[in-house]
Amino acid sequence: MTVWTPSDDGFADITSHDAYLAGPPHNTFARMRRDDPCAWTDYPQGEGFWSITRQADILACNGKPDIFSSARGIRMEDQTYAEYLARRTFQETDAPDHMMTRIKVARAFSPGVVAGFEQAIRDLCDEILDEALAQDEFDATKAIARQLPMRMLGRILGLPEADLPWLVEKGDALIANTDPDFTAHVLDRMTTDEFRLMPFNSPAGAELYIYAKDLMAQKAAAGDTGGVLHMILQPAKDGSTITEEEFRNFFCLLVAAGNDTTRYSIAAGIQALCHQPELLAQMQSGSVWDTAPDEIIRWATPATYFRRTAAQDTELHGKTIRAGDKVIYWFASGNRDDAAFADPFRVDLSRKPNPHLSFGQGGPHICLGMWLARLEVRVLFQELSRRLAHIEPAGPQKFLRSNFVGGIKELPVRLKRT
Amino acid sequence: MRVTWELPDGSTITADVTDGSNLMEAAVAAGVPRVLGECGGNLACATCHVYVAEGWQAATGAPGEFEDAMLDATEAPRGPGSRLSCQIIASAALDGLLLRVPG
Ligand code: HEM
Ligand code: FES
Repeated sequence: MTVWTPSDDGFADITSHDAYLAGPPHNTFARMRRDDPCAWTDYPQGEGFWSITRQADILACNGKPDIFSSARGIRMEDQTYAEYLARRTFQETDAPDHMMTRIKVARAFSPGVVAGFEQAIRDLCDEILDEALAQDEFDATKAIARQLPMRMLGRILGLPEADLPWLVEKGDALIANTDPDFTAHVLDRMTTDEFRLMPFNSPAGAELYIYAKDLMAQKAAAGDTGGVLHMILQPAKDGSTITEEEFRNFFCLLVAAGNDTTRYSIAAGIQALCHQPELLAQMQSGSVWDTAPDEIIRWATPATYFRRTAAQDTELHGKTIRAGDKVIYWFASGNRDDAAFADPFRVDLSRKPNPHLSFGQGGPHICLGMWLARLEVRVLFQELSRRLAHIEPAGPQKFLRSNFVGGIKELPVRLKRT
Repeated sequence: MRVTWELPDGSTITADVTDGSNLMEAAVAAGVPRVLGECGGNLACATCHVYVAEGWQAATGAPGEFEDAMLDATEAPRGPGSRLSCQIIASAALDGLLLRVPG
């Protein structure tokens, strides 16, 4: 059995949020990979762009940040220079600026440091699962997947427990700003300019900025030396410290980047368990944990794409990409490329090698949180599979309305405990 | 030039590497386990960490400023000879180089 089969007619408008309501338009991506792997794509809301859809091409282009720059925006939407400056985080910079920030935060999210969170994650998974599995039928995205990432990030950062539900809400509003379920300011339906200069075009961004600023002041005043935030605030080897603006932007980025990506990875893993019954026994055997998290995250592909801008003219598949052209890496497509993955629509928990692109592999902006995300996914499924005798769908799943965040926002399940 | 990677179990993998290429790419091409190179040699992932064997550390040189900082973000502990192998470029002067792969 396969988990999910795409239903688009092969000619979907891949820029339209509505095209993702039944899951990513994978028949369209398959056609593009086959017939036109560097396709000019019209964008009704602004400038068109080049769509890179093959796994190998995305990997190769992402490795050339001098040609494909992050410093002109990383989303499909066009923005003015003023908007860019107001909203930018280190994710929207190139070397050497990018490295100057990245080296200040890398250690706090390194595999060695993150491994130390395993017990805390397990305790949190216990709490969440004991509560969720008290029922036999529920929405797994809401009851399980939505809970873990933000509460974990909060604990790692040393945030007050009472603030976490508020932060989950702001994180949702920040990223899923094209789905009316998550935000009152649906981006492509907005008529005024008032939010354009706010981080992530959202008042939630402004609120998070203020929260981060207060937090930084409180930590400093209290001489608080615990947690990841303290590590980030320490001077780097060259004596430089993170500036207040850098810190606020970084904090916002953490809330936005670490929240729904991990959530939708967990949701997609539960979806897979429902539709490929053999996966549960494989998990319970304990033999797949080295490889399962990456396969679940490949299957999920929570970041559908990221954008670059050509810094110089360059050629790809006989097309001339001009300096200034937008170029989009469609990770969702690359992760289903049968030139890189045998049977890409099947979840294979022991897939190895697994050259997926969900974390933006192959480039300087590779996910900072990937070790944490992998660990959270592993521990959650270890704890979940241990408790499950059977799990199945209990109604239709619903996908997020977004061309950018790929996620199952409603996943009704029915289960039997061991 | 020739490079040998010594794995934690003591076994070795040896490969001929074209001058000018970096030793993370060479390790991935040679199928050396645990040298992943997930950021494509862009100094962002530290998954290409190796220990340069005693006797070769002067020839390979000291890590640069960004590399030095990223060596604090490796999975295995930093030790003498720790380098990110995407930053070591193959050249005739390094012929016979021995790199130990972290366990
Ligand atoms: C499965 C979960 C996750 C997925 C799929 C994911 C995906 C990604 C992707 C694709 C990028 C690269 C963007 C680009 O190339 O422009 C990225 C960058 C980033 N991610 Fe994640 N992410 C996840 C979890 C996390 C977590 C848990 C955190 C933090 C706690 C995090 C923090 C970041 C940051 C700070 C960056 C920017 C890095 C840079 O520009 O150097 N992510 N992520
Ligand atoms: S390959 Fe990522 S730091 Fe060397």
